[in-house]
Amino acid sequence: MSGRRNGNRIRGPQSALTDFLAANNISAAQIRDDHERRQREARNNGEGSSTAAGAEATPAIGEDGADEDVVERDEEEEERVRVESKKRKRKGEVEALEKIKKAKAGKGKGKEEKGKWKGKGKGKAQGKKGKKGDPDEDDDDGDSDDDFDPDDLGRDMYKKSRPLPGQFEHCEICSKRFTVTPYNIEGPDGGLVCTPCGKELKKDVKAEKKSAAKQPQGRKRRKLESDRLDGLVNRGAKSLQQMCIETVAKHHDDVEELGDMPAPLVERLSQIFSKQRVLKPKTLPLFLRPDLQSVVLHDAAYLEADDYKQIFAVVPNVQKLVLGNTCQMKDEAMEYMLERCLKLKHVQLYASNLVSTEMWEKFFTVMGGRLESLALKWLDNALEDESVEIMARECRNVRRLKFKLCRRLGERAVVAIATLPKLQHLSLQLSRDVSNEALISLVEQRGPKLLTLSLEKFLDADETLLSAIHDHCRSLQKLRVSENDTVTDAAFTSLFTAWPNPPLVFADFNATRDIDNNNSDGPLEDPIGLGSAGFTALMAHSGQALKHLDISSCRHIDIVALSEAFCSPDAVYPALEYINVSFCSRVDTEVVEGIFKACPALKKLVAFGCFDVGAVRVPGSVVLIGVPRAREGIEQFGGYFDGGGEGMQGLEIGGMAVEVSA
Amino acid sequence: MATLSQFVTLVSSDDFSFIVLRSAACLSGVIRRMLDPACIIFSHASLLYSVLTLTDGFVEARTNTCHFENISGMVLEKVCEYMYYNEKHRDGKDVPDMDIPPELCLELLMASDYLDSACPSLLHMALLTAA
Repeated sequence: MSGRRNGNRIRGPQSALTDFLAANNISAAQIRDDHERRQREARNNGEGSSTAAGAEATPAIGEDGADEDVVERDEEEEERVRVESKKRKRKGEVEALEKIKKAKAGKGKGKEEKGKWKGKGKGKAQGKKGKKGDPDEDDDDGDSDDDFDPDDLGRDMYKKSRPLPGQFEHCEICSKRFTVTPYNIEGPDGGLVCTPCGKELKKDVKAEKKSAAKQPQGRKRRKLESDRLDGLVNRGAKSLQQMCIETVAKHHDDVEELGDMPAPLVERLSQIFSKQRVLKPKTLPLFLRPDLQSVVLHDAAYLEADDYKQIFAVVPNVQKLVLGNTCQMKDEAMEYMLERCLKLKHVQLYASNLVSTEMWEKFFTVMGGRLESLALKWLDNALEDESVEIMARECRNVRRLKFKLCRRLGERAVVAIATLPKLQHLSLQLSRDVSNEALISLVEQRGPKLLTLSLEKFLDADETLLSAIHDHCRSLQKLRVSENDTVTDAAFTSLFTAWPNPPLVFADFNATRDIDNNNSDGPLEDPIGLGSAGFTALMAHSGQALKHLDISSCRHIDIVALSEAFCSPDAVYPALEYINVSFCSRVDTEVVEGIFKACPALKKLVAFGCFDVGAVRVPGSVVLIGVPRAREGIEQFGGYFDGGGEGMQGLEIGGMAVEVSA
Repeated sequence: MATLSQFVTLVSSDDFSFIVLRSAACLSGVIRRMLDPACIIFSHASLLYSVLTLTDGFVEARTNTCHFENISGMVLEKVCEYMYYNEKHRDGKDVPDMDIPPELCLELLMASDYLDSACPSLLHMALLTAA
């Protein structure tokens, strides 16, 4: 019998044990075959499949723990070193031994199986082993001899097969012993890992997959446009500062302290941190140094009451305080600030809605003459007119004042503001109605010294206001009258004609138009808002000094005026850096090209909603934003300029215009 | 005077020297002014090397060497790498970002702020060197 079976096999030395087995009518070779067959099946069924087929692991030779480990490792080594047959023999021997034990103990098949599942002793990682002692099966398995596959065997020998659930296994990573379940995953070398290590591995894999995941379509284009809106030009390499700042922002968790960084850099970093919303109590100390004179945090939303106190505690000599999104700042924090920060002069707090009106009044009283600039935005329930009156009474040194979106302020506040003697910069956007008289009286009283006047969303302000400005303002540099639907073009024209005020540096008249659904083009005979005549007068008056021009949504500026202003051959505006012509429907390609030619210092041109702008050559130094027909982005050509040498190279005429038509 | 050499040397505080192309080094306003033979101002580089010259400009311009007492070797190496990276990609689009190790980036940020500073006024430079 054995002779036939062993006919085409490598014949190794017979051990005494095999002889003994043979004497008991147990064929070592047959046991071996069974084992190999089942291993093959196990591989074919995949890892971790149910082991209901009744495989079981050999409880090891009565050893436990470390010994088993050693035995296991030894065996692996031995497996690799030894000849195939020897190894098979060894396996067979162990199996046989176990069989004998079982036979001796007289246990039935069922109990054997139970024993497997309890995992007594160390699993010997040999995969599924056959049921022993079943004569019927033996005969069946005899046929499998012919399925002998040398490759399989080779692979089996060198591959450590998966232990069954219920057995113990050592984790590949941490070498801890754990019970195998169907859910354990494989480690990098093929062995199993315990559950905690498995979780770590899964986390790593997930992170990798996330970073390698395909970005949604169009994300690159959006990033390009977003960068352009921020003013980051797409051309050439980024500056080293920019890249460093981005790296710091990316690794914000690891930054421990900022060392001796100069204050402008600290401010830039705080801007980036605010933008990425990582300005939290943990990262706050980076920006607080005892020697700083200004604390600028644009997004303090994550900071809690104690953090504010920390700010004031660490930086008691602060002179300029700029805090945005100060939603969590409370009265106690402000008390503390009033006690500690005795040098405070410039205060800018946005959205500090938890500070009560009494606290504001106390603030004004305590600060008194120290306060030089105050900027408050987004105050819903606090800060009444009376508070502003108290401020006007107590803080006589205020130079800069900005009240925007403070819901409770109205006419009396304006009247009070008019009494501040040193006011130079005034910016107002109030929700309550303010009469024209109050505004006019404000302009009359403060006009001569005002450098900045910004009146937004005073819908009913009319031409008397503008004539007051014309009559009284003599040193204005920045003028903004926006979101108004009463003032006519004629009034604007008369403002700028023969106005003794020196040329404006900043002019913003956006959204001065009348929105009436019944008359959607607006009155054409007497246009409301900045129109052609007004625009021409404005450019005539201030064109030479103007740096910032915003005429968005001024729909009555027609093509003639625009062409005259920008396309005429001798039009030059040497200081213009920012132009916003959004929603001026008459702006077209020629006007844009004229703008580029006429404004050598231009950095940014915003043109949302200008549907007539098509293919246009954009010089390298200019960022063009918002043109609706740009698909691939308008190509930028033009002179590259060397940083220090020749200054800006001119615009190369003759470059290609590229545009993908809609 | 002879034509300007093509290469210049940048020396760090711990005496590492980096020989780089002049065109790359002059990306930095400070370096360009230090190496420009036409500039005649009190040299700031360090008190040991400072020489008030009335004719030939900075010592750095004559020797084509710039010493940076406040920039370490590792940081200066990254700066030189950036200069070449910038030169190589001057006109490119969608340029891949240079790799900046996080451990170095804060010092690198301060160094880049120093080197790109546009105003070489004496007070400014003295403050920076004192920092």
